[in-house]
Amino acid sequence: MSSSKRASTMPAGPKPPTSLASTLIIADNATLTGTNLITIGASTIVHPRTRISCVHAPVTIGSSCILSERSSIGFQSSPSGEDQGRGVVIENGVVVEIGAIVEASRIGEGSLIEVNAKVGKGAVLGKHCKIGPLCTVAEGEVLPDFTVVFGNGQRRIDSSGAQELKLKMVGRQVEVLRKLIPSNLAKFQ
Amino acid sequence: MSKKPAKGEYIETDTGNKVSRKCQIVGSTNIILGGKTIIQAEVIIRGDLIRTLPSSRSASSGAAQSNVAVAIGRYCFFSTGSALRPPGKLFQGQFSHYPLKIGDHVYVGPSSVVEAALIGNHVHIGQGCVIGKFAIIKDFVKILDGTIIPPNMVIPSFSIVGGRPGRVVGEIPEGGHEAFDLRELYKTIKNS
Repeated sequence: MSSSKRASTMPAGPKPPTSLASTLIIADNATLTGTNLITIGASTIVHPRTRISCVHAPVTIGSSCILSERSSIGFQSSPSGEDQGRGVVIENGVVVEIGAIVEASRIGEGSLIEVNAKVGKGAVLGKHCKIGPLCTVAEGEVLPDFTVVFGNGQRRIDSSGAQELKLKMVGRQVEVLRKLIPSNLAKFQ
Repeated sequence: MSKKPAKGEYIETDTGNKVSRKCQIVGSTNIILGGKTIIQAEVIIRGDLIRTLPSSRSASSGAAQSNVAVAIGRYCFFSTGSALRPPGKLFQGQFSHYPLKIGDHVYVGPSSVVEAALIGNHVHIGQGCVIGKFAIIKDFVKILDGTIIPPNMVIPSFSIVGGRPGRVVGEIPEGGHEAFDLRELYKTIKNS
């Protein structure tokens, strides 16, 4: 056990400034990096190995969101315009699945970003959008409410009217995950 | 005890599992490895997502509820960056995760994400695949690189599956099932 090896795996950077709700569940080995403000709302779940980066711009996450393992939230380069100055804003009830990369300016309420999907820098997603697995949304693209991106980038508008049910389901999922994932809020405050 | 083993990339268990020191296993008490399974670096296995809804069968028999979240058979191989996660759904108004069961000789390619309910024996999953929630994959199935298996899909035995969304595009030819044996692959992973 060489102590130098251990130290190299844990870069001792300064903690980013955060504004975290007290009912947030954030796993011990999630990573928050950068110097801008990270705001996370009530009852949100941050899984282990989630990366939230505020190196280039702030990150604001609403309440009852689920951010899965290995997902990456936040700009990976400097904002290229004044409208991107607010950084990433994720509204309430958004689910980000495993390995997704989110650099959007805004993700509307109740949206679902599936496994390994990528939302480009400055994109604006309306409410209840769904980005399918491995799908991409280009930089700066604007998607209206209820847009579904699927397959090889095909688009359609979801008119099923199931958005209330979906939000309820996310709420139930959050309730269960609250019990399963040990939170270490103090580490990030 | 007296001789300290050399420190390699893999931790070898008594049953021959080789687990990378760099893998990211959460909730290891709820994971069963059948033996001779290889888990490479940066593999995520979510054992903490256990079933929270008591199953009707165990409740009636009064047996102690097993907390297995991920059960893996023998000679499985999980490549770098893959992720295993038990699927979750809403059932009778309550959300719960359900166990992820994997048979023997299952290969999961690099950066694939598996949220299936059941994977049979001798299954080959390529690179960058996404196996949707509650998918059921039977024996001797080959899933091509970059395939997206939609949630709840059932894939019959001896199928070749590819595309987005995944469709059965072919059949394993006669005699082709020998290529699924992972014993040779297991031997190539050495603790250097």
